[in-house]
Amino acid sequence: MNDLGTPGEMTSPGDEALLADIGRFMDELDPPPGDLVQRVQFALALENLDVEVARWERMNATAGVRGSDTGTITFTVSDLTVMINLTKIGKKHRIDGWLVPAGEYGVEVRVAEHGTSSTTADEGGRFVLDNVPQGTTQIVIHLGDVTCRRTVVTPTVVL
Amino acid sequence: MTDVQTTEVDPPWEGLTGADLHAACMRAARAGDRQAMDRLVHELTPLVWHVARANGLDRLTAEDVVQTVWLALFSQLEKLRDPKALAAWLITTARREAQHPFGRRAQPVPLTDELAESMESTHPAPEEEAVRADRDRRVWRAFLRLPHRCQQLLRLTVLAGRAEYQLVAEALRMPRGSVGPTRGRCLESMRDLLAHEGGSR
Repeated sequence: MNDLGTPGEMTSPGDEALLADIGRFMDELDPPPGDLVQRVQFALALENLDVEVARWERMNATAGVRGSDTGTITFTVSDLTVMINLTKIGKKHRIDGWLVPAGEYGVEVRVAEHGTSSTTADEGGRFVLDNVPQGTTQIVIHLGDVTCRRTVVTPTVVL
Repeated sequence: MTDVQTTEVDPPWEGLTGADLHAACMRAARAGDRQAMDRLVHELTPLVWHVARANGLDRLTAEDVVQTVWLALFSQLEKLRDPKALAAWLITTARREAQHPFGRRAQPVPLTDELAESMESTHPAPEEEAVRADRDRRVWRAFLRLPHRCQQLLRLTVLAGRAEYQLVAEALRMPRGSVGPTRGRCLESMRDLLAHEGGSR
């Protein structure tokens, strides 16, 4: 504020100069991914937005299932854990899932530009979805009964 | 530039900018207007992104946090009455999500030299810019070594200085009025870091 620095001083750049650098780096080195806005918009394109958001848990933050042929993802929200095992078969995925605690809940997998596949978990909480296309994917789980409906959604992930 | 007003077609936020735009979009979004939501996401995703990144998240995790923040906003939009509070809400929620104790069990990748190098390598500098690139790398590295609190404050300061993010400036004025001095100390630390590794290259 009081010290605007002396531009051109190499060893000790002023505040304004440093902020200008940081701004440039934010744009050039660390911009949001180009398709992020679109993916958020897809994640929000739900009929009912009264949802709880589950968080992806990654074993290793840098080595998710993205880009690999198989992998397990876990996501959690308050009292529910969902494990998803992915197997790539040709250009499609087979998704084996497991809900804990178990329940016969409705499960939907939305893939951008490919619509929705849905199924119901068995009483052990297991479900299988075959032939899920690749792409920006979101998982939606319908919990509860008529008296208390809850919907849990995940952020989208490119699978 | 003087478009004929076609009120039936244009959304109510057409032609608005900054805080007015956000307020109009929030009103429409609260009434269920999906276009208004999309517009807000489009306008303010960079803000949420930079808060997530400033809190030390790798890029993939930051993407999840950005989405989580938006889903959380629109699932409880009626709770956020004052559009002026939008930026502060987005910033606070993004920071809280970034530091969420569960679901982020994999510790955020520390922003190390390695990351600075890899970022650099995705933007190879032409020969004639080698000197500038080298200086940039040192400055960026110094920035990444600052505490997350400082990285966040400085990123937000930069955004607040841009016309489309007036509301960030307002959000920054809110917490305890100590932003000016804190910012000064953060920049001073950055200069120290820069001085320490400076000269060697």
